[in-house]
Amino acid sequence: MDTLQFLMTGFGVALTPTNLGVAATGALIGTVVGMLPGLGPINGVAILMPLAFALKLPPETALILLAAVYMGCEYGGRISSILLNVPGDAGAIMTALDGYPMARKGMGGVALSISAWSSFIGSLVATIGIVLFAPLLARWALAFGPAEYFALMCFAFACITGLMGDAPVKAAMAAVLGLALSTVGLDSNSGVYRFTGDDVHLSDGIQFIVVVIGVFSVSEILLMLEQHHSSEGVIKATGRALFNLKEMRQTWWGTVRSSVVGFVVGVLPGAGATIASAMTYSMEKRIAGADGRFGEGDIRGVAAPEAANNASAAGSFVPMLTLGVPGSGTTAVMVGALALYNITPGPALFTQNPTLVWGLIASLFVANVMLLVINIPLVGVFTRLLRTPNWMLVPGILAISAVGVYSVHATTFDLVLMSTLGVVAFLLRKQGMPMAPLILGFVLGDLMEQNLRRALSITNGEIGILFESPISKGLWIVAAAMVIVPPLLRFVGRKRNVMPAAD
Amino acid sequence: MSDRILGAACVVLAAGMAWAAKDYAAPISYEPVGPRAFPLLLAMLMATGGVWLVVRPGPHDSGLRLAQFRTLGLTVGAVFAYAFLFEFLGFTIATTVMAVPVGMAFGGSWKQALAGGLGLGVVLYLMFDKLLDVVLPTGLLKFALGGH
Repeated sequence: MDTLQFLMTGFGVALTPTNLGVAATGALIGTVVGMLPGLGPINGVAILMPLAFALKLPPETALILLAAVYMGCEYGGRISSILLNVPGDAGAIMTALDGYPMARKGMGGVALSISAWSSFIGSLVATIGIVLFAPLLARWALAFGPAEYFALMCFAFACITGLMGDAPVKAAMAAVLGLALSTVGLDSNSGVYRFTGDDVHLSDGIQFIVVVIGVFSVSEILLMLEQHHSSEGVIKATGRALFNLKEMRQTWWGTVRSSVVGFVVGVLPGAGATIASAMTYSMEKRIAGADGRFGEGDIRGVAAPEAANNASAAGSFVPMLTLGVPGSGTTAVMVGALALYNITPGPALFTQNPTLVWGLIASLFVANVMLLVINIPLVGVFTRLLRTPNWMLVPGILAISAVGVYSVHATTFDLVLMSTLGVVAFLLRKQGMPMAPLILGFVLGDLMEQNLRRALSITNGEIGILFESPISKGLWIVAAAMVIVPPLLRFVGRKRNVMPAAD
Repeated sequence: MSDRILGAACVVLAAGMAWAAKDYAAPISYEPVGPRAFPLLLAMLMATGGVWLVVRPGPHDSGLRLAQFRTLGLTVGAVFAYAFLFEFLGFTIATTVMAVPVGMAFGGSWKQALAGGLGLGVVLYLMFDKLLDVVLPTGLLKFALGGH
């Protein structure tokens, strides 16, 4: 089988000493970043991306580093959820519901180890899912022309805005803002400079790194100012360190179910770890029925969401690798990272650059094993890191961010632009505008415009071509459904609930 | 800040975009869609969204409180000062100078923040510049560290 052969090649890449070292480093950094409240996978990947580039890592090594950080964050988030009752990242919110009560009952060690185990299973199931489905999807996507691509990108935006829940208009505006930022600079087709204000620094366009660091590092720091939680609440006595066989059997099927659901949710653009973990938590709660003690420290309520958030993180690599259209903010950052190496992800990547794709997939397996190993015995080291004071941590984040931005062009201009974008992003986020669509827009902007122009060149300006093929028709219909159905459901739901229920 | 202000800002931005984009035209054109269409489309979408927010603002309040303005201002000021002085002062000194107000805004005493900043400045400089080959500006310490 081709797939197996490619996978072996992939392991050949993933198991070189450099890539093993990079994966281990990424796994460690990811666990720490995921654990620290306020910093999630997108911040970790954003801050490390320019460094990977500055260190002149080859593209597959850089991607392995970022992927390991991403996976590590999904592992790390649970630690502060369980010991501090403060989720380390958004995907770990549900873990706190039962993890913290368990820790207070002196079962913290069990909660930590079973959640590491279920994280491992979740990632493993999802990585196998990638191996099985990604090549199929890539083969199918090879038939896409510019019109289909344009429709596909609109579909991705529809998903990411439609699923944003409370503020679809603001999410859509964020996407438009990101697209607008991407038009700054030289238009390669016509040689016209757009929105540069005759400034040389902008003639190349706004650097992706500057936008990402501004939006996910500087603005995050400003947001962190408001959430002062002291690290004194860390529960120290964690009791028995490892789960026993009975507990493993009790959680096994829930973990497997949640892994599959998490993978599927992760593959869909827009949805992500947060939605996956919430879905599986309520699913397991319903399945457990009367004998469940969810919310009071039920071990199944710890295992299920952790399996799901890891599975969805791994699943989100599928649209990124096969279609070149990232489904989440974090994978959007990775697409931007690949663009720095002049690599455009997409269906052709599987045939043109198999070492990169399969090296990444194989390294997901490798990093997952490493993460399991470091997350069960070494959890004590991480909990000590949780006591790093913010007055040390935040200047450190800022300094590393500045190093990353400066390393690209070595100009003060980029640093000032980073700060400005950071403050603007902070204000927008305070006003409830999500930033993931913005980064998706910025990453996809050029590709989207190029595909639109190419499609319209074929028909000499007739826009009918965008809706012609069955694939584009299907994508437009699903995209429209994504925008229309969620608000409709909410509207119907509101009508049905005569009592104004607190949500 | 409210949704109305956000919406109005979007409309103003869209108008600016449209005004700037209206003159973008290729000197010689090979394709039906030039450099102007996509920005104008975006400006239109942004204006529509902005008007929507002005007409139907959500209940969302940004929750910026006056009490936070001191720490917020301190941090924002430090971030910009860091950006402007990064090259001139050099990485080590700039990081130390930045860490004092930022560290204090995050609950450290000035002594803690200063010591932390100096530690970060020295350790990160050695790690990136000497160990990992990411060249950082030496600024005022040029006489001691070399570089530019």
